[in-house]
Amino acid sequence: MSAREQLAATLACGAVLAAAPWLLSDFLLSLALSCLMYAALAVSWAMFCGPTHYLSLATSAFFGLGAYVTAWSLESLPYGVAVLAGGLIGVAFAALIGAAVLHLRGAYFAVITFGLGELTLHLITYTEKTYFHTAGRIISDAPDNAAIYWTVLVLTLGAVATAILVRASRLGLALRGIGADEERAQTLGVDTRRVKILAFALSAFFPGALGAAMAVRWTYIEPLSVFNPFIGFQTVLMAMLGGAHTLIGPIVSAVFFSLVSEFLRLRFPYVFLLLLGLLLIALILYLPGGLASLLRRRGRADA
Amino acid sequence: MKLGTRIGTALLGALLGALAAPALAQDKPITIGYAIARTGPWSIGAQVTQEPNYIMWAEQVNAAGGLSVGGKKRKIELIGVDDRSNMETVVRSYEKLMASDKVDLVLPPWGTGANFAVMPLAQKHGYPMLSPTATGRKLVAMKNPYFFALLQQPDRMMDALAEFMVARKVRTAAVIHVDELFGLEQFTALEASMKAKGIQILEVKSYPIGVKDLAPVLKAIQAKNPDALIALSYPPDTFLTTGQTKAIGFNPALFYAAVGTAFPFYRDKMTAATVEGVMGLGTWNPKTSAAAKGYFDRHVARWKKEPDRWASAHAWAGLQILQKAVEKAGLDRKKIRDYIAANEFDTIIGKIRFRGSENVSTPGVVSQWQNGEFEVVWPPNLATSPALHPKPRWN
Repeated sequence: MSAREQLAATLACGAVLAAAPWLLSDFLLSLALSCLMYAALAVSWAMFCGPTHYLSLATSAFFGLGAYVTAWSLESLPYGVAVLAGGLIGVAFAALIGAAVLHLRGAYFAVITFGLGELTLHLITYTEKTYFHTAGRIISDAPDNAAIYWTVLVLTLGAVATAILVRASRLGLALRGIGADEERAQTLGVDTRRVKILAFALSAFFPGALGAAMAVRWTYIEPLSVFNPFIGFQTVLMAMLGGAHTLIGPIVSAVFFSLVSEFLRLRFPYVFLLLLGLLLIALILYLPGGLASLLRRRGRADA
Repeated sequence: MKLGTRIGTALLGALLGALAAPALAQDKPITIGYAIARTGPWSIGAQVTQEPNYIMWAEQVNAAGGLSVGGKKRKIELIGVDDRSNMETVVRSYEKLMASDKVDLVLPPWGTGANFAVMPLAQKHGYPMLSPTATGRKLVAMKNPYFFALLQQPDRMMDALAEFMVARKVRTAAVIHVDELFGLEQFTALEASMKAKGIQILEVKSYPIGVKDLAPVLKAIQAKNPDALIALSYPPDTFLTTGQTKAIGFNPALFYAAVGTAFPFYRDKMTAATVEGVMGLGTWNPKTSAAAKGYFDRHVARWKKEPDRWASAHAWAGLQILQKAVEKAGLDRKKIRDYIAANEFDTIIGKIRFRGSENVSTPGVVSQWQNGEFEVVWPPNLATSPALHPKPRWN
């Protein structure tokens, strides 16, 4: 599919999904919300980390920052503006840390991005305590579930569309070049530092905005619950198991794992983590290329 | 890869089938749903204080024929799921229970944050919630008509501590607290109470949640030699403060640590000799009443472990109140709410009446480990043992 066709398909899917609040029960709607959220997180993670082979664990930091933007501003700003602001703060923060640490590679980069999450958590705790004499914030007047769902849907479509455009652009080419051999890309005239910061910052818009969008569901915002490292781990896991170098892989995988883990949690309340673990091991052993490789193999067989 | 494809298809099929299946049929039993942490950081508190009580209560009621509704006994069917210590999962689970499954009643999740998150749903769908592990003036200030907080509010507990200090002529104190809603609210209450009573605060230090070393802070406090060291702490830091205060040989006349001191495994892990004389947040023990003794014995028989001496009893009291309200008001949840709001209840921790969301009956209490039991030592009319003061040196 060309980029144009992919965008058209995304838009068509979006139009269908937009009907969900009228069709689904409260629970199925919130399950759909989770699927969308993780799809957007995984796609935006893979946007930068897929082609460059970086392993970023900063997703929870962006997500938590976004949640705090909502907690701080919802009284004075409309919901939509708070979500946008959450995304922009994510971009700004990513640009800042990207400039500082994107020269690192491999495990060093992973560890430092994880550390940044912790740092942000404690920075916010300290700020809140010292200047506002509080430890948590209450969000009253939350928008209704349909409004949250549509907001998250728009963000998800935005993430997918951005990923399509990046892949088709010179930026995407440069990122793949950096992933293959950074020095060679440099020699060929790619300003690798600028490209990496740009793409890393761009990909951070979505977790920031999603944190801002989702926070209204929890009434009470405290650092420990919004800077949840598991959100970051799960995102990475989903993107990798889906196939981080592909577009469709992270989406399929995010939806698949959101549904499977919810199904296992509700049907096997005591052993679901065990089952989930077994499933992960099976996938890693038998599908090293990610869920996306299933689709591709099938496509080839059909052809 | 045929196999992989087939597995994938089969899984997806099973999944869609399960999701499309109608909610559990509600014929005879009364369905009572809840989400609680069985995994993740919240599970430690939740599995000591809360879920064992839910299960034991349902078993006990069912063994007696069921819950009495309009004079007819109906069995309870508990629907409990793991919330994975995740806020979004808490919300999604209660949306399922209330809006999709339409269970008859719900029981609350564990912890202040999760209760905050469920409160709007409880009001929207009209489910009364009696919460044994949520505390804070901010919760009460929400004025949510369906929410009832069983624990004593911070000011009550801290007033009791300050009164005890005045009675035992404790004149100076150092306070450390965790940077979290709980720590801040407790500290604000304690500071106000100590100021009003003329107790001098020599040092205040706060620390982030998850702190790994408090020795430098404790040594600095030791140098100031206060009569009392008060740690408004969470369980991990309660253990840490106890261990490190002992390790540096700091022996204040009064040593108080907040959450976790009431856990039996605090005594078991630190040893009864070490915790002798340690004070903390507690409310009851097997000696506070015959009903409390009965509860304690049944809990030990069922779980082969002791309930904690603070909020476990509040959890049980909440179930007692719910049971009574259902007997009187039936399964009309609005009527249950009104009945809870308007009446006084007999529970294992004494009489309970609510004003708004607040339990205004249960008094503030100071408890102290003595010979392996968390004795109530203040106020005098509730004490199960006289206080050991000054605290014996670390042993």
